[in-house]
Amino acid sequence: MKKFVLTLYLLQVLVAQKYITRNGSVSFFSETPIEDIRALNKQTSCVLDINTGSFAFQVPIRGFMFKNALMQEHFNENYMESHDFPKATFRGGIENWLDFKLSKQSQDISVKGALTIHGVSKKISVSGTILKDRDQIKGVAFFDISPSHYNIKIPRVVRDKIAKTIQISVNVKLEER
Amino acid sequence: MRFFTIICFITIGLTFSQDELMDFFDDNSQELFPVIATFKATRVVNMQSVELPRQKTLEFMVQHRFGSIKNGFYDLFGLDEAVVHYDLKYGISDKIAFGLGRSSWRKTYDFMLKIKLFNQTQGGGKTVPFSLVVFSNVGVDTYREDGRTPNKISSKMKYLNQFILGRKFNSRFSAQISPSWVHKNLVSTNLDKHDLFSVGLGGRIKLTNRSSINGDYFFPIGNRANHYKAGWGLGCDIETGGHVFQLMITNSRGGYEGSYIEDATGSFDNKNIFLGFNITRSFTL
Repeated sequence: MKKFVLTLYLLQVLVAQKYITRNGSVSFFSETPIEDIRALNKQTSCVLDINTGSFAFQVPIRGFMFKNALMQEHFNENYMESHDFPKATFRGGIENWLDFKLSKQSQDISVKGALTIHGVSKKISVSGTILKDRDQIKGVAFFDISPSHYNIKIPRVVRDKIAKTIQISVNVKLEER
Repeated sequence: MRFFTIICFITIGLTFSQDELMDFFDDNSQELFPVIATFKATRVVNMQSVELPRQKTLEFMVQHRFGSIKNGFYDLFGLDEAVVHYDLKYGISDKIAFGLGRSSWRKTYDFMLKIKLFNQTQGGGKTVPFSLVVFSNVGVDTYREDGRTPNKISSKMKYLNQFILGRKFNSRFSAQISPSWVHKNLVSTNLDKHDLFSVGLGGRIKLTNRSSINGDYFFPIGNRANHYKAGWGLGCDIETGGHVFQLMITNSRGGYEGSYIEDATGSFDNKNIFLGFNITRSFTL
């Protein structure tokens, strides 16, 4: 019995496989009749434990690149306050992971977890797709968030220029650590 | 035995907890980021700040310096008359900018070049603690003096060269120090010097994300003529989307570079100080 437990334990620890990336993409898009705003972050880190389907994201706010440098400055200084809240994170898991089989075909998944932006944590559920291509696991997700849910204050004078809901897209290619 | 099993399962649980997933990010804080927005505008009040017009951005700045406040309501604290300096600057990259300006103070045209030698950085690893900028300005005074033979163009020129060493200490407080050298090709009397050195100090304290209190002062190095006044400015920045408004009181009327360092005229003694504002508007090209 003792040997069995020990073997199981070691097996579990050894088999604890993690897939990671440090240069995943997260972009956002704000669409209004007056102005479209978009920015891309290619410094996103993601780690997935394929035994449990749990995973985590970390997005450095200062890594969001805008076409307009003034917008980028305002995004950091006035809205996201990246000096106080330098990172956005997500920790969560893929639903029904234990019955799930990764394949070359892209498959729909649903994800639940806590998204932390601007120091505010919210439970969200998001749908996305996942596939495994040779050694890489590729994950994609699209979802909307509202700045107001994360205590991001938008002054009245620019209220018409910033969408009430911001479209987020996430795209990661994970490799085994 | 049972104890051992429990320990094993607990540690398995720990192994797969999400905190361990987050631990993976710990060694990830090595990225360096340039420090941005040390000041909101390319000027603190009068003095040049460590900020440049942003890359591929055309920046238009209007500077008004009104008349002396000493006449009170008679000329609405000087608002009836104004000295105006316009300039248009372009950021070739985030390190180099150039611009052209015109001041109604002695009808002066000026050309400027601003180069960022290095930018303050923050993040993991080796950071640079401050930003260093070199600023150069040439002004041509085209004012016609009645009854005198016109000067040669070289005699109308005036130069300013300065280093600007600035640091954003935290999100609220930034400061900079600026060793400056003004050269005048032509001076009024034999006693006036052609080369004048001074050290400028400037800083800001942010009140909210979009407003701050700013000040600057130039300390002369060496002797000056009796009428010399050290130039200073005290103001506030208000940012609204694409504009930065700077409202101020100052003892200098020429927005053009050399004038606020060496040719300030006002002082508190005779209430000879001036209200003014700068408006900055950026156009992304």
